[in-house]
Amino acid sequence: MKNPAREKFLPMLSPYVDGELSPEERLLVEQHLANSKESTGQVADFRAADGLMRHALEMQADTIDWKAFADDVMAKVTPAKLAVFERVKISLSEMFVYQRGPLMVGFAAAALAVLIAVPVTMKFATPDGYGATKLQVQTASVEDSSTFKPVVMVTDTGDAIIWVVDTTPDAGKKKKKDGEHSEETLTQDPPAEGKQGEL
Amino acid sequence: MTRLLSGAVAMFCLTALAAEPSVTVQAEVVFASTAPGTVEPALAKTRDQMAGTKKYLTMKKLDSKKLELVQNKVQTIALPDSKRVELTLQGLKENVATLKVKTPQVETVYSLARDKSLFTQAGSKDDGDLWLVLSQPK
Repeated sequence: MKNPAREKFLPMLSPYVDGELSPEERLLVEQHLANSKESTGQVADFRAADGLMRHALEMQADTIDWKAFADDVMAKVTPAKLAVFERVKISLSEMFVYQRGPLMVGFAAAALAVLIAVPVTMKFATPDGYGATKLQVQTASVEDSSTFKPVVMVTDTGDAIIWVVDTTPDAGKKKKKDGEHSEETLTQDPPAEGKQGEL
Repeated sequence: MTRLLSGAVAMFCLTALAAEPSVTVQAEVVFASTAPGTVEPALAKTRDQMAGTKKYLTMKKLDSKKLELVQNKVQTIALPDSKRVELTLQGLKENVATLKVKTPQVETVYSLARDKSLFTQAGSKDDGDLWLVLSQPK
């Protein structure tokens, strides 16, 4: 003899076991199960079959070596490679966000180094044309008709002084007479500090 | 095509000009006299260097110029007695420049050296001497 209530609830028993019913439907099914031994038995059968199936699948899964699975999957996943500009941009933005302190210190140190290095380099750099350490007077000449004679002296500091001496016999006397300072000292008293330069 | 050629010629000229050797010198005209007076503090060292030969009691800087000398191009410095001094860069070899200095009385050829100066007598004025001092610009 057919039970109409069981006919109504029969399609809901399997979803009930699987937890797929709404709370209202679940409540109705549980009320039905309290009154129907046949449906209760069927629900027990479903649960037993469910357990068996889960157990069988777990046993089957245990036979597979899952160790290589993760490696295989990761080997197939290739990371997306960004354009160089994008990579630099990201790298810089991360640097400015997460390493701002060391970065600022680095910039400050670099600026300080430049501020010190540039003047020092400029001070010690040899300017164009001044590569020699010793000044050399190659020639010091006067016109053939001239009564003057150049006398080259090199000082202790390496500078060169070119004196012009009047070689006319009465040059000193004439100047003295005129009240001018004579240059005779140049020829009569050789300089104590300097020495004769190369001519 | 003509524009291209003109541009090339202009570039060549600019390059040639840029490559021409040059050197910078500091030229000073100094008045020195044995008459009592004052020696400018900046010239005290010069006075001491000359003291062995002539004891100047007055020294005054009359003119000071920084000159850029280009090879074989004459630069002049005017002296107070309407005379002048001519400076020419004769050559630049292994970063050593050779200069020709022509004063009214003497013509000198010498090579520059670092931190060294050349003092050459450049005539007379009033009761004293005129000196031309050539040195490395500071």
